[in-house]
Amino acid sequence: MMNRTPTLALAGLLLSFGLACGGGSSAPAPQAAAPAASLSYTDPAGSSWRLLKDASSTPTRLVLNLVGPAGTLTRGVGFNLKAPEGLKFDAFPGGMLIQDAGVYQLLSNALDPNEPVALVGGVKTGNLLSAGIYQKGRDQGAKDSGAALCRIALALDSAHRPLAGTTFTLSVIKARIIPEDIGSPTDEPFTLDRKLRMTDISVAVGTVTAR
Amino acid sequence: MRRSRAAQAALLTFLLAGGSAAAPLVAQAAKAANPLQASARALEPHRVALAKDHAMVLRSQFGLGEPDAFVTRLSFTNTQGQAIVRLDQTHQGFRVFGGQALIHVLPDGTLRTLTQGVQPGVKVEGEPRLSKQGAVAIALRHLAPQGPMTDAPKVERVVFPAKFAGGLAFTQDPVTGKQVLDRKRLVHIQPEQPFVWAYEVRTRVHNRVDAPSELTYLIDGRSGEILRVDNALHTARASAPAQAKAPFAAPATGNGLGFYRGAVTLATTEMNDGTFSLWDNTRGTVGNPQLSGFGDDGSGWAPTGLQVWYASHDASGQMDWNMWLFQGNAANSWGDGQVWNRVPGTENSANGQTAAVDALAAMTTTWDFYANVFGRNGMDGNDTAVFAQVHMNGGYMEWYTDNASWSSWAQGMSLGQGSYPGNPKGLLELTDLDIIAHEMAHGVTDATARFVNAAGLEEAGMAEGTSDILAQGVRAYATRGAGDPGNAIPATGADWKIGENAGHGTPIRWMDKPSRDGRSADAWYDGLRYLDGHFSCGPLNRMFYLLSEGASATQGATNHSPYYPAGFTGIGLDAASRIWFKAVTENIVSDGTGSLTFETAREAALLAATDLYGAGHANVLAVEKAFSAINVGLANGQAPRAQVAFKDWREGDYVEISHFSGWSNKEFFPQGETVRPRVKVENTANTQVAWTIGGPSMYNGAESMVGKGGRINADGSWTTPMEKGWWAITATSQADATQFAEGRAFTINLDADQDLEQDAVDMGTLAFSWYLSNGLSLAHSVFNAPWVDDGDVGAFVDAVKNSWLPK
Repeated sequence: MMNRTPTLALAGLLLSFGLACGGGSSAPAPQAAAPAASLSYTDPAGSSWRLLKDASSTPTRLVLNLVGPAGTLTRGVGFNLKAPEGLKFDAFPGGMLIQDAGVYQLLSNALDPNEPVALVGGVKTGNLLSAGIYQKGRDQGAKDSGAALCRIALALDSAHRPLAGTTFTLSVIKARIIPEDIGSPTDEPFTLDRKLRMTDISVAVGTVTAR
Repeated sequence: MRRSRAAQAALLTFLLAGGSAAAPLVAQAAKAANPLQASARALEPHRVALAKDHAMVLRSQFGLGEPDAFVTRLSFTNTQGQAIVRLDQTHQGFRVFGGQALIHVLPDGTLRTLTQGVQPGVKVEGEPRLSKQGAVAIALRHLAPQGPMTDAPKVERVVFPAKFAGGLAFTQDPVTGKQVLDRKRLVHIQPEQPFVWAYEVRTRVHNRVDAPSELTYLIDGRSGEILRVDNALHTARASAPAQAKAPFAAPATGNGLGFYRGAVTLATTEMNDGTFSLWDNTRGTVGNPQLSGFGDDGSGWAPTGLQVWYASHDASGQMDWNMWLFQGNAANSWGDGQVWNRVPGTENSANGQTAAVDALAAMTTTWDFYANVFGRNGMDGNDTAVFAQVHMNGGYMEWYTDNASWSSWAQGMSLGQGSYPGNPKGLLELTDLDIIAHEMAHGVTDATARFVNAAGLEEAGMAEGTSDILAQGVRAYATRGAGDPGNAIPATGADWKIGENAGHGTPIRWMDKPSRDGRSADAWYDGLRYLDGHFSCGPLNRMFYLLSEGASATQGATNHSPYYPAGFTGIGLDAASRIWFKAVTENIVSDGTGSLTFETAREAALLAATDLYGAGHANVLAVEKAFSAINVGLANGQAPRAQVAFKDWREGDYVEISHFSGWSNKEFFPQGETVRPRVKVENTANTQVAWTIGGPSMYNGAESMVGKGGRINADGSWTTPMEKGWWAITATSQADATQFAEGRAFTINLDADQDLEQDAVDMGTLAFSWYLSNGLSLAHSVFNAPWVDDGDVGAFVDAVKNSWLPK
């Protein structure tokens, strides 16, 4: 029996091809899962920090928006998002792994075409996306976080041949924001030092399913 | 007579020496130019006007308009009767930084333009709000010298192209010896417009407490912000020469006994009091810009000719920063042929004069070499007087003692007294012929190619190599026999060593195989420019040696090159010298930003050889072969070699975009992380490389400001060291072991929030300290600096992008 398993599997594959070509049928046989060809995403519930599907997503490329709680003013956010095998993080035009959604004011000097913006993303060992978007300094006011703040993208990693029906669990390992109050240059050093801290947040993530 | 003044600066440091020539040498007066050159010189003003008109006609092709023009920086007529005209680009009458044109006017009137340095599309609005005085004040506030400023800064209003703004600089920490960010010279501003008004402020620090420097500041004429800071950048116009004073004193002939040169006849001057001075007033009729600051004291002295001065010393033997002309000698007999005993107060004794005898003899020989062989009238081509100062020591970190230097500001040399034998690794007095010829050659290139002689640029190696090359010509010239007319360089007489005598038998540099010193390179590779110019000159020196003497086909021979293994016949020292002299004085255009490469040098040499000998001539082909033998270009018929390069090392990075020239070809990585540096391998199917930590710029693993840290893993990745700093890594082609590239990385600490993890979340912490001036945590800066700015932001982004790549 052990030796028959491959044979059965092969028969199944042949059958599948035969059916696709409109050929005849035969007795049902055990089915091998098909390679995944697309991704679907179910948004998480709640109104706090979360990753929501962006309308620009396609069947093969899932774009997620990081959205915060409405009314919470922040100056930037960074997070580490771990994805299992079978998924890979995808770049946006220009090669960046994170895309600005236009809420934060990233440029301090709009006239300098070469000003570097605090927008950064990389994939560390363990398929861990580390990404962040921040305003620089105090010149710009904090922004309402209840909107898409930045985007990331996921795609199937064909190197791992994920199968249709696979459910992927994403997890945010670490996430922090720059709060509204970061002190003033005129503050006493002690006071200022207490405010020079990022604040931990939890980010809810939905479910990714391969189709 | 006593003249007290501050010593001259010393920018084109060198560290060479050499020479020997024990045979007595009589300095001979410069001969008249050849008839063709003499007649062509008469036409030079007309040809300069032609060149300027031609440049103006070409304005539209250059992308220039009505407000743009060209003014003559310098011109000269070469021995082929060609007028070589260098023009500065101007806009509304003000010089455009980095903009120049080079035009040749051939004897038949044909015009040839070799211009790549013109800055197109110049448009600058309004007027500067800052005054010249304000710009100087800003520069001096930034410079903040600890000691006195002996020279007033020079300031010029210019148009500054924004693309030249910025620059991260680094310096050596005097405590740790490690290379650290030089916050003083760090500039990361980007002007809002493509061109802005600016002031170029040249400063000169030359005293006992500060490191010698000639910093040039470019200061925004509106905002007052510093746009660029360069050291050893010779961008100013030549100082207006003082009117030559008719000396009251009379030319004389003295006898000297040098340590290096032995017995020599010296051109000296009889002063009004009947004594003699080491002042050859038969050469150099235009007043020296530095000496011209001294008034007539009734002795008959004038700021003209070739003069030798000395530094006096206090009782402890330290230079007291007073300078004196060698004079008061009643017998006109100088020196005792022995090394100076360095006893304070004996500087102008017979023993103390020995170094001056060597210096003056070397200066006259060098002067005549250019006059008689190349028809050049002095170092700057304008017959400007030159001086030397001997017995120098001390200064910041004993800088002057075992060193020699040329100051383009002063048109003079500082020559150290040496520290040997008290310091076994030190040198003898730096007054030998090849040292002085090397320094004076800097005066030639300052006025012509104007190489930027700064670490991190291939131009630095070209500057030092050219001085070594021309010094060998002077050495050979000095050996010519009696009756030799002196209009050609003898085939023998070069020893292809620099500083052997001052080094008491050990050369400072070998030109035939530069790597003998354990630090210099024999051939070009990507990363050569990380070497100091005194070591990156190795390939150029070897090219010249092979061009002159030929290359062997025998493996293992000193003159065998794996890059041109077939070998070839040399063309001789005279022909090789003429080609390189012509290339460097007529065909090379430095825009002042350090963009020249060895490939540029090759093209300039080929053009010069073709001009001199005609297309396809054996000498032209030999130039191709000689450059091929140092891995620069290919000779006719050679198949392309494998090439390894960090070409895309910076591509798309903030540092590259912002023109941080000092960091060009250097990459940021996070410390203590496993990364995969990238190189480009071309011309071979096997693109695999072997990675090693370290590189040639580390002086073969010995002393270095660059570290050798981390480890190369089995998969070729590099786990970076757990500390900030510079590191070298090398990629060697697996297809061709002679092809490699060195990259430099700067590791930074991304863990700004100090949670022991380097990630993008850390960047948020940078925002707290961005441009904040108080209450800061050093950890917030990736450089551990007391503030955070766009330099940190750009470096952080680059480090992440370089290290954690998507699949």
